[in-house]
Amino acid sequence: MAHEGMVHALHEAHRVLKADGLLLDLRPALQHRRVSLVAGKQWQPVGVMREKFIDDRAANRAVARVLRAGLFNCEAVREFDLDRVMDTTADFQAWLDDFIARGKAPSHEWLIKRLERLQRPRRPKLKIVVRGAIMMKVLRKPSGNH
Amino acid sequence: MALVIDSARNEVRALEQVTNWRGKQVLEIGCGNGRLSLRLARLGAYVQAVDPDARQIRDAQEALPKHLSRRVQYMVGNGEQLAFPSNRFDLVVFSWVL
Repeated sequence: MAHEGMVHALHEAHRVLKADGLLLDLRPALQHRRVSLVAGKQWQPVGVMREKFIDDRAANRAVARVLRAGLFNCEAVREFDLDRVMDTTADFQAWLDDFIARGKAPSHEWLIKRLERLQRPRRPKLKIVVRGAIMMKVLRKPSGNH
Repeated sequence: MALVIDSARNEVRALEQVTNWRGKQVLEIGCGNGRLSLRLARLGAYVQAVDPDARQIRDAQEALPKHLSRRVQYMVGNGEQLAFPSNRFDLVVFSWVL
């Protein structure tokens, strides 16, 4: 979504919210995801992804704009880790392809090759875990603001 | 594709800290396959969930458990032009949309 579209969507959210209602903006934080191979409690770091954050920075600007306009007050910003657990390199490739198709990341051929090398058939119980930080902004529509 | 998201339930814990969701009228924008919609419904919310991708909405509807069918409604929609009246929801959730 382009910057103006984001601002428009925030205005629409403001419209449909009751006074004093909450808007939650959930999306990845501006931090690169970490990819690991995991067996039980043993984590083996494999690589750090190289995502593009162009849309995320535009989103931050859009939120800042509606805050300046007084549509919402920012009550809290929280972060937490969200893991995606996959069985095979093919699963990871499928997830990554969708990511790349949306222009969020360049090709990560190096990472696929590294995973394939490390996750050989002799170690079938290894899981691929992509850990990313999620940011949650909690915005409140002021009471008496229609 | 075998994919498990947030087995540690960090997302649910973060959502629980925001508010008591029980009985709240929630609009989720960008619901995708409905993963988060179901979590919100299990927290007790009534969820209207929209996404511009008709295929994703169809998949979400097919995967909606019967016991949550009165709590979650999926529809094709766009965050920039919402087909809902003003002052309708207690919460609006942007799921990876902005």
